[in-house]
Amino acid sequence: MTLLQVENLKKVYADGTAALGGIDFKVEAGEFIAVIGPSGAGKSTLLRCLNQMVGPTSGKVIFQGADTINAGNRKLRQIRREMGMIFQGFNLVERVSVLTNVLHGRLGYMSWRGALGLYSKSDIQEATRLLERVGLGEQIHKRADELSGGQQQRVGIARALAQKPKLILADEPIASLDPAASEVVMNSLYTFCKEDGIACLCNLHQVDMAKKYATRIIGIYKGTKVFDGTPEQLTDEMIELIYNQNKGGGADGLSAGEGVNDSSRGLPVQKETVLA
Amino acid sequence: MKGEQLQRVRRTKRNQLLLFLIILAVLTIWSAVGTDFTPGALWGGIGDGARFLFVDLMPPNVSEFPGLIQPALDTIYMSFVAMVIGSVIAGLLSIFAAATTSPHPALQIGLRAFSAMFRNIPVIIWTILLVASFGLGKLVGTLSLLIVSIGMLVRCYAESLEEIDMGQIEALRSTGASYWQIITQAVLPQFMPSLVGWSLYNLEINVRASTIVGMVGGGGLGFTIQSGMKLFQYKEVSMAVLLVLCIVLVTEFMTNRIRERII
Amino acid sequence: MVNLSKVNIRGAKPNRASKSKNNRSLKMYGVIGGLFFIFSLIQLQLDYSRLLPGILKFGKTALLMFPPDASEWTHVLLAAVESVQVAILGTVLGIILAFFLAFLAADNIAPNRVISWLIRSLASLLRAIPTLIWALIFIVAVGMGPLPGVLAITVGAVGSLIKVFAQSLEEVDEGVIEALRSTGASWLQIVLQGVLPVALSALFAWCVMRFEGDLAESTILGAVGAGGIGYELSHAMRSYQFDQALFVGFVIFMMVFSVELVSNRLKLKMRKRA
Repeated sequence: MTLLQVENLKKVYADGTAALGGIDFKVEAGEFIAVIGPSGAGKSTLLRCLNQMVGPTSGKVIFQGADTINAGNRKLRQIRREMGMIFQGFNLVERVSVLTNVLHGRLGYMSWRGALGLYSKSDIQEATRLLERVGLGEQIHKRADELSGGQQQRVGIARALAQKPKLILADEPIASLDPAASEVVMNSLYTFCKEDGIACLCNLHQVDMAKKYATRIIGIYKGTKVFDGTPEQLTDEMIELIYNQNKGGGADGLSAGEGVNDSSRGLPVQKETVLA
Repeated sequence: MKGEQLQRVRRTKRNQLLLFLIILAVLTIWSAVGTDFTPGALWGGIGDGARFLFVDLMPPNVSEFPGLIQPALDTIYMSFVAMVIGSVIAGLLSIFAAATTSPHPALQIGLRAFSAMFRNIPVIIWTILLVASFGLGKLVGTLSLLIVSIGMLVRCYAESLEEIDMGQIEALRSTGASYWQIITQAVLPQFMPSLVGWSLYNLEINVRASTIVGMVGGGGLGFTIQSGMKLFQYKEVSMAVLLVLCIVLVTEFMTNRIRERII
Repeated sequence: MVNLSKVNIRGAKPNRASKSKNNRSLKMYGVIGGLFFIFSLIQLQLDYSRLLPGILKFGKTALLMFPPDASEWTHVLLAAVESVQVAILGTVLGIILAFFLAFLAADNIAPNRVISWLIRSLASLLRAIPTLIWALIFIVAVGMGPLPGVLAITVGAVGSLIKVFAQSLEEVDEGVIEALRSTGASWLQIVLQGVLPVALSALFAWCVMRFEGDLAESTILGAVGAGGIGYELSHAMRSYQFDQALFVGFVIFMMVFSVELVSNRLKLKMRKRA
């Protein structure tokens, strides 16, 4: 069965900017897909439409046979807990311990106990194991904001893994990191996804990283899919096309980056991102 | 061209400032006329005030001290109890009153208006109102302080809640966490320092306000001061004022220390 | 009424303890606070049996307030105007006095340490005694009417403004002062040319906030006999004319609330510019 199926996905923000103009693709179990494209192309909106952090305007998102867009509150939580998410800004709860941050990955499986922070013994053991796995076994009782950027992102990965997800959505996971830390983070993300058989959809800015890790690459330009193929198929001409389509278009292309909400320009804190 | 523009902006700014100062001066003069105020009256008032302060009020009657301990302690207890209960209630309400965490915009507006009413009716009026139905005493004092604490804290808490990092909330939402899980696990840790900060500030305000509350029947040192004034027992009054002074300064000192330690 | 940046400013001292340690002391203070809360509740010996009847009676009183009686509106509005005048005059006088004293009190530009310390202590004394008590003192000293109100507001404003003015002046970049001093500028020149222009907008913000607080204070001063609308309110309450009291209360609410709205707008504007 196809893990994730996206059909004709469209998103127009309240201010009228069209972020996604009808996107189709499928994700099979175990794939590691890199999504590339210039800033403002709609990569971040695309990812957030998949787990309904942003409500799409129209289209279909079918995850493991379940319709995400029309899912009720309870069903949506079940869907979300099986899709881990990793953020450009790490988005750890800074004032609590590293361990607690990983345990947050279990919240989708819990009820009021989660609200009180009463995690089960097995969850704590599992979280500790995950932290050791990402190489932070020494840091589990530190406050999250005492870690370096690279370490924080590894906590973010551990949090996503704690969800026991079938799919991980990674939104520019290395855009805020230096090259060395980027390498470590991408490496762990790739390894863990492979080892645990998790599919990954990863927004990337760096084409070289995409080519190095991805099993498949999707190119997005101005909210539409312009490329979908293997890393080998992504020729230099193709890259040129994805990033510089606007060359002929002149001023038109310059405006592509404006308005459209991309995570590299700060989170899309529209009404949609507010608690629901 | 650019220099010209700059100069024009500067000129309008200067004119605006000038206009503002003129309006302020006119308002001040209008107020002075309306309140029969003259520089002479100010000078005389300060003189009379100083004479009263240093001659009639001094020295404080220290022998009254033992009798003032209980009212002084009551002042502290009332302020603290009102602060704690107020923080808990305001904490809950502010979650619904902040744009970032409110489940519904209507709830948000309703609660804001509600807290504005609590806050903008001065504490002394609340006390006068409550005395009519609850009788004199510490219960009324505590309740009035509680009401204004809630009014103030809902506003301050909600403003802090609106400044929290939405990324952390987004992250928990993406794990499938429910509304209350997000509130306790992502919002509360971020909110804690400002919650404590505002509550301590509220305690300082309560300590001051409790004297006022006492004057109209809410118990504590304020009552002692008011009745002392009426009976012309100025030396006792000054002893009570001295105690108020001590309590306020000590509270301020302690809250500052705590704030430094935890924020 | 509420001072927004106070908490931040006061908490801004550098803190050397590690962050996890901060979390621990937060918990410790939480436990101590909880214990003191229980202790206070026990010590207060509140009569809870009065709570329910009180609430019922309060409900009845509240019903007596409707419909509000606006028949005395000219009288009430005149008193309201007097309150506003008391607030304006008191705040302006307070600003003028505090403005000069703050320059002598701010650590970085004070010409004399002893004077600076004296002014600061005086300010905290003035501040620590509530305005209403100042009003009581001035009423005894100069008699009833708006004058004791103006004086009380002035004293309270001087106390709090010296502190915040000095704080804002101390935030002025040390480099600016040093640069001017190196040119051989006199103290007055440094203050007028270097410090004042930098700190001016912050001082202005404090003034607005102070006026917000002072207006709220001035509306209640009448309750102890210092002029203004507060007298109308306490008079109506004491003579059990609750419907009139509600009207007066409504006017007071509108006064305080409208100033809060205006100052919120100003604060937003200032924040945007900053």
